[in-house]
Formats: sequence, C-alpha cells, structure tokens
Amino acid sequence: MLVRLIPQGGVRQLVRTSDPPDEKAVSPVNMKLVGGAALGLAAMLVLSSCGSGGSGGSGGDDKASGGGQVTLKMVAADYGDGPGKPNSGETFWKGVTDEFTKANPNIKVDVQVINWNDIDKQVATMVQNGQVPDILQTGDYSGFVKDQLLYKVDEVLSPNVSGDMLQKFAEFGKVDGTAYGIPFVSSARALFYNKDLFEKAGIAEPPKTWDELKADAEKLKKAGVTQPFGLPLGQEEAQGESFLWMLGNGGGYKDASGKWTINSPQNVETFTYMKGLVDAGLTTPNPGTKDRKTVWEDFGAGKVGMVNGGPMSIPIFDAAGLKNYGVAPIPGKTGPLDTTLGVMDWIMAFNKNGHAAEIKKFFDFFYTGDAAQKISDTYKLLPVTNGGIKKLEGDEKLKPFLDALPNASFYPFQDPKWAEVNPAIKQTIGGAVKDDPAKVLGELQKTAESAG
Amino acid sequence: MRRLRALEPLAWVGPAVVLIALVVLWPVIEMIRSSFLKISRFGVVQGSNGFANYEKLFGEKDFADIMVRSVIWVIAVVALTVLISLALAQLFNQRFPLRKVARWALIAPWAASVLMTAIIFKWMLDPEVGVINQIRLKLGLIDAMGGASADQLGDAATAMPWLVFVAVFVSVPFTTYALLAGLATIPADVYEAAKMDGAGRFRTYWSITLPLLRPALTVAALINVMNVFNSFPIIWAMTHGQPGYSTATSTILMFILKGSNIGESAAMSVVNFGMVIILTAIFLKVSRWNKEVA
Amino acid sequence: MTVNTMRPPATRPRQHVRPVARRGMPRLKTVVVAAAAYVVALIFLFPYVVMLLTSLRAQDSLREVTFWPKEWVWSNLANFWSSGLAGNLWVTLKVAGGSTLLVLLVALPAAYYSARHHFRGRTAFLILVLVTQMFQPTAMLVGIYREFFQFGLVDSTWSLILVNAGFNLAFAVWILNAYFASIPRELEEAAFIDGNGRFGALFRITLPLAMPGVITALIFTFIAAWNEFVVALTLTTTPENQPLTVALNSFIGQYQVDWQNLFAGSVIATIPVIILFALIERKVVGGLTAGSIK
Repeated sequence: MLVRLIPQGGVRQLVRTSDPPDEKAVSPVNMKLVGGAALGLAAMLVLSSCGSGGSGGSGGDDKASGGGQVTLKMVAADYGDGPGKPNSGETFWKGVTDEFTKANPNIKVDVQVINWNDIDKQVATMVQNGQVPDILQTGDYSGFVKDQLLYKVDEVLSPNVSGDMLQKFAEFGKVDGTAYGIPFVSSARALFYNKDLFEKAGIAEPPKTWDELKADAEKLKKAGVTQPFGLPLGQEEAQGESFLWMLGNGGGYKDASGKWTINSPQNVETFTYMKGLVDAGLTTPNPGTKDRKTVWEDFGAGKVGMVNGGPMSIPIFDAAGLKNYGVAPIPGKTGPLDTTLGVMDWIMAFNKNGHAAEIKKFFDFFYTGDAAQKISDTYKLLPVTNGGIKKLEGDEKLKPFLDALPNASFYPFQDPKWAEVNPAIKQTIGGAVKDDPAKVLGELQKTAESAG
Repeated sequence: MRRLRALEPLAWVGPAVVLIALVVLWPVIEMIRSSFLKISRFGVVQGSNGFANYEKLFGEKDFADIMVRSVIWVIAVVALTVLISLALAQLFNQRFPLRKVARWALIAPWAASVLMTAIIFKWMLDPEVGVINQIRLKLGLIDAMGGASADQLGDAATAMPWLVFVAVFVSVPFTTYALLAGLATIPADVYEAAKMDGAGRFRTYWSITLPLLRPALTVAALINVMNVFNSFPIIWAMTHGQPGYSTATSTILMFILKGSNIGESAAMSVVNFGMVIILTAIFLKVSRWNKEVA
Repeated sequence: MTVNTMRPPATRPRQHVRPVARRGMPRLKTVVVAAAAYVVALIFLFPYVVMLLTSLRAQDSLREVTFWPKEWVWSNLANFWSSGLAGNLWVTLKVAGGSTLLVLLVALPAAYYSARHHFRGRTAFLILVLVTQMFQPTAMLVGIYREFFQFGLVDSTWSLILVNAGFNLAFAVWILNAYFASIPRELEEAAFIDGNGRFGALFRITLPLAMPGVITALIFTFIAAWNEFVVALTLTTTPENQPLTVALNSFIGQYQVDWQNLFAGSVIATIPVIILFALIERKVVGGLTAGSIK
C-alpha cells in the first residue's frame, strides 16, 4: 500500500494506471503458436532478450525438488533504488534468505524482486498462468481473498508474532473478520521544519495549532521565504496531504460508521482555512498543481519553511544538504495531532503449493529475528510490531512518527469505491483551495457516493 | 497457373495487410468491445455493460469542457504550426552560410522524444529555479522567483499557452521539412516567369508558391492533426491536466480513467477516434474544396 | 483516392532552389536572413542545451538559481553506463532496428505492387493505409494491451517491434507508393527487355531511383520507434526488457527525481538520432516530396 497509495508523479503514474486486463481464458494453443512464431523470428533477428518467459517460467519446477527439500518461491517489491544499487531488494532478501536457509537447511527461499510499478501486473500474470508464488510481499492483499488463494494468517504465523502486531494495523488485514494479510512495514507522516529559517524569522518552536501555523508562516514570509508552508495538492499526493489536514479538524474521508464524509462541515472548514493560507501567499503557489517531490526538493534546498513528510524524506533532505531541520507532530486546529496518516504494505501466503509449515517457519524467522529491523533501517520504513517500535525509540527524528503510529488513521482503501474516488481526489481536490471548497468537496462526495 | 496469378497480389500486398490487421485493426476492435464491457480495476471482465460506460463518460462533469478544449487544442496547434513552418521553410530555403548546420539544429525537437522535451520545458518553467523564469526576472516581467507570478504552469490561463507552445515547438520541424521538400519541387522557371510578369514578392508567394505547396501542406497538416489530437506526453508531463481538469484533453481524460474504470476509458478512446475521423474528414474536405476554387 | 507525386524524382531540379536569393542580391539581405536563421536555430536548440547543462550539475545544486553548472559533474554522463541503461539502449536499438527492418520488408513489396499493378482490392488497400495513418497507438492502449496479453507477448521486445512496425507501416507504404508511381515504367521495362529479368530490373533500376523515398520511410520509422514511449510503458514490465525511453523513468523515483541523470540519459539517447538525421538530411527533404496526395 505504501506505494500504491503514495502515488508517483508524472510519467510514473502511467504504469500504475495500466492495470492488466486479465483475460481468464488464454488459449494455450494460441499462445504456443504465436510464441513459437515469435521465437523463430526472434532467433532470426538475433534478439537476445528472453522476454517475460524467464521470470515466469521458473515457478514451474518448484515441486520437482523432492527429497524433503522444499523451495519456497517468494515475490517481493523493491524498496531500494533498483537492481544493481547497493540497497536493492535482491541484496536485502539474499541476506535474509541465506541466513534462514542456514538455520533451516531443508528450506530454500527463492526471491524474485519486482519494482513497484510492475509488481501488480506481474503477479496478476503469474496467478492467471497458475504459477502462483508461495509468498507475496506487496501493497495489497485483498484482491486475492475473494478467489480463496491465501492462507489465513493463523495458519502461517505463530500466535506470539501475530500478538505483537500493532492492533490497528492488523485489523486492516482482515476480510469479514478473518485475517489474511500480515502487515509488513508501515510509514507515517509528521511535520518537518527548517530550523535555520525559523531562527531567521524569530520563531522559537514549531507550531502546534492552525493559528500558530498561520502566524509562523507570516513571519517566515516576512523573512523572505518564498514558500512558508509547502503544500503539494497536485495529482501525485493530494489524497495524503488533504487527509492530514482533515485529521487536524476531526474530519476524514469517512466517519466512524463508514459513511463518506468528504464534504463534511469540518472538512469544508479545513479547506477554507487552507484556502486562506494560499490566498495570503503563505504556501506553495497553486498547490493544486504541485507534486510532493517538487515541494520536498524545495524544502531540501531551504526554500520551504515547513512541510509534511515521512521517514522516507529524511535521507532525501539529508542528501540535498539540509542539515538543520526538526520533526514535530502535525499541527491541528486546536492542538497537535495525536494520530497521523498511516500506510502499510503487506505480506501474504498463497495456499496453492501447500507449504504452510515452511512458510510459517520463514515468517516467524522474519518477524522475530533482526530481518524486520534491518528493513526498517535500510529503507527508513517503520515497523508494524510493538517490539519493533521499541527498538527504534532512541531515534529523535523518528520519535514523532513512532508516537503517532499505534493510533494511526488510514485511507478507506478497503472500500472498493476508493479505487475510483482516489484518482478523482488527486485530480481535483486542489481546486478546493482555489475555488469554492464546499463545491469542490461536494463534487468529490458525489463521486464517492455514486461510484461503483 | 491462372489461379497462381490471381494470388500474386496477395504475395506482394498480403504481409502489409496482415500486419495492419494484427497490430492496428485488432486493438481497435478489442477496444470497441471493451467499451461495452464492465471491467474491474484489475482488468477482470465482469460481463456486458451495455451503454453504461458511455453514459458515465458523458455524465462526467468536465466532459463537455474537455471535448471543446481538445478541438481548440488541435486547431490552435496545427494552425500555428503550419503558419510558423511556412515562414521557417521560406527562411531556411534561402542561401546563407552554414545553412546546413542551422537546418540540423531544427532537427533536434524531432529527434528528441516528445516526452523529454515536455519534461525539460517543465523544468525550465519551474517557479523556483526555472531558466525561463530567470530570464523573465531579468527582463523585469516578474518581481521574484518562487511566487505565484513565476508559476506559469499552475494556472490554466498561463499554462495552456505554454502547452500549445511546446506542442507547436515539437511539430514545427517535421512540418518545416515537409514544406522545404515542397519548395524544392517548385521549378525555378516558374519564378522567372512571375518576375517577368512584374509580380511582387508577396504576390508571387501568394499566387505561385502557396498553391504549388498545397500538396505538401496538406500532408503535413493532416499528419499534424492526427498527431496533435493524440499528443499526450506534453500535457501529461507538464500539467497532468491540472489544475483540476482545466488543461486536460480527451486523451488525458482517457488515461486518468484508465486507472479507475477501464470500460469508461475505452469508451473515451472510441469517442476520441470518432473525433479524429471527423476532424480528418472535415480537413480533407476543406483542402479539396480549396483546390477546386484555386 | 489516388496517391501520387508531383514530379518524378529523377528529374527534380534540386540544384536551383530559389532564384530570388541568387547572386546579385544585396549582401545585407544574406546577413539578415542568416541572422534570423541562426536565432531560430538557437531557439530550437535551447531546451536541449539546458538539458545538457542540467545533466552536468551536481544533485545538491539542482535547486540553485543558475544557468551554468557551478561544478561540472561529468560523471553524470558516465552514470548512464554504470546504471545499466546500456542494456536498455540495446533494447531500444533492437526495437527501432527491428521495426524498421520489418517495415522495409513488408512495405516495399506492397508499395511497389500497388503502384505498378491495378489489382482487385487495390483501392481498398490504399484506403486501409490512409485510414491506418489516422490511428495512433496512444489512443488505443487498452486494445493493444489486451491483444498482446492474449498472445502471451506482453513484456517482449518482439511485441514492441510489431507495434512500432504496424503503426508506421502506413506512412512508409504511402511515401513509397508515391515514389514508385513517379518512376517511369518505361525505365524498368527497358531494363527488363535488356535481359535483367523482372526482379533484376526492380533491384537495378527502380529501387535505386526510389532510394530517397526508402530512406525517408526508414528514418521516420526508426525515429518514431526510437522515441516511442507510451506503448513500451504499457507492454514492458521487467526493467531489462524496457527500451530507454521507459527505463529513463527509473530516475523519476517515488520520492525524488534524479534530474541530472534523467537528462544525461536523454542527451545520450538523442545524440545518435540527430547524427543519423544530419547524415541523411538532404535525402529526407527529397523523400518527403513524393508523399503527397492529390
């Protein structure tokens, strides 16, 4: 979910939007014929690439390895910078699986790492071709539940591990009361502020309330900061930024009973307040067209006073050369948020190859050993277990995130309508700080109520 | 033997027909079919959907605006492209030192990918550090970097002209080259004759060059109409159709829909097709009418 | 709908371009023309110069207001090779080369035969070609993906070759047909009578005469396939199978953009095309002339 819900900007978005039309019945004859023709022609042209056959084909011989030896096939998303990079998923998982096989000599784990843009498409293809992996780690699990492809969590995870999971997170792994998805890693948001600019503007502390925020932004503006508050409400991340603001006024996309409340009075009030900031020139200009990446770049370059960010922005700001910044809870209307936007990714086990016992060993190994800790360290992702949070508590910059994590709020991603509402929010919610907030939010509410 | 002869055209033309049928016509049919299906976000066909996809599409709040904008976009870009290319073709057809090198420079936007050209323009228009804004600052057109006045792509009123500019920018090289090719076919004696008749330069251009350029012009403009209507990376990379949908064209809407509703997206594609065919037909009609009058 | 040419290319008066600008004109005019042309050339080069300069900047200096890099980081260009993009460049080369080859193999016979022979279905074929010209892959991604998925050809170089060849075939047939039609049949028949045989005549006489047309068709296909982005983005999934246009997007990360590497890659991707184009620029101008409809 981390990536699917924190969408990428610009051209990247394209890939996500081209979801695979999955045709159930692919005639094998057809495929063979065309495949054969293609192979011949490819050979003729001395084409050396092997296409997708290479990645999908290896799944077939899993069961051939007999004699008590079991090979688990795992597909995982890449949190690193891609193949060949020092933090690539391949490198990370190789370390984990090597250690696991050392401890369990008769279980081997083959990990195929796929980047976030492609993993959904690839997995869909695998499922359709019957080459289902044993373990999948990606952004969503719910799509597989309906087709009864997954093991229940209690079949593949020891009670002591599942008991340590953050309760609010584990709840979201359930469909109709039964848990299928295991939270894998999470992320959260907090307010980043540039201490140098704050000092220059004569501000002692980060703001806690909206009034303070506005006053501070005005001071920053006077001190010559072009973007006192970085506000990305463009298509890349509008749904996240908006949600953080809604939370600050007790609002959200849905209420406790599960009804859509996009145009609730609280939300309208929230956006009216934001519009005031925008009109006064206290934010990024034209927020409805600005992507988070750009605003973060500007924050890293010292052009932005405050911005909402996550643990993943720490290395980015560091690399941009920004040294003196602080992290604080996000200000709300009357006080700092005790919650935050939480996002999480999942790991799940497929039941087709019947390796429940081996999978259980691997999962327990992953969560109880230092692998889960290592993934947090390597990629600045947050843990999903109480034990994991305890281990990170010493980190001052992570503290605001960890404090808010157990009480995190989530997008209504389990509602199938979210898939249609989310793109609409990304495209149009920026208009709520430019035109009439009630009208823009009302349109989105209509979309949410009618979608489906 | 005679039967063999009858099959002869098939051997020569057949492969081309097969390739077109396979790669171009099949997807068209597939797409039209999809526009009547209910397809899940992950691509699973959930049965027929009748005209619901179309109804939903036509019911989108911004649909009418987007269609009007698409047509204006095509007309504006093609018209500007043709006008500028006519002038540039004239200019680059003159003799001057290093003409060849200058012509090579003209190639750059054609050789580079449109997407990258769009991305570099967005980069140059960045409100905080963009080089175009640096120039505007030096010229006194804006007071400071970073403010709303430096944010040209943030508002539809200023973003749209820039999008048109970039679209024209990438279309001009091909069009200019086509027109240069056309100019090269005009025999010198035609001009000599016009000169003898005492025709002025403008008159010569209007009554001799332009009519003789007509075929090249028609081809170039036609290809532009089809390219521009479907041109997608420029708007996608520079504004993503934002703010809201206020800089989106029908192709952009199709792409946004593709993420949430494949059937509706297919319906948008089909409507898009209809538009291209109508525009092309009108264009061909108009250009033929021109010919009859001339 | 007849496809025709304005003038046989063999007799094209290429040497005198426009008599107006010939000797005897005041030198001032040449200066003005040259200056204007250079300015235009600079405008068209400018974005790509910015691209190059940005690609040489250090990552942490990208948000500084400056035109010239403060320190020249040449290693950004070298990063291209170390980041494994060379493999993607190879894919691009295979796709562009493969589809150009395929277009040549399929379009040449079809264009030649339909220019020389009146067979049943000829008009239908030429209309099919013209209509295909209107179809852009961008507008039919849904259909293309679904088709190739059914073939099991998603994520293969071969699918990209097919699509690029299919969508560029129309233009190639169009241009080549006009070219062949413009070559006097008598020339070929004379060679035939001389005992060259039908294919001998075709290869010795007709094809060399049609060379500018062939080259134009090829270069168009090659550039279009080289820069094609949207279809490749949809049809390829594994990084090794992606052509450069798509692979470059790996620099547009989830949380940040490696502008300098992105632009360095684009520069590297564009240079070969510009060189190629510059080499055959004159032939392209010649070749375009023929492709005009009457």
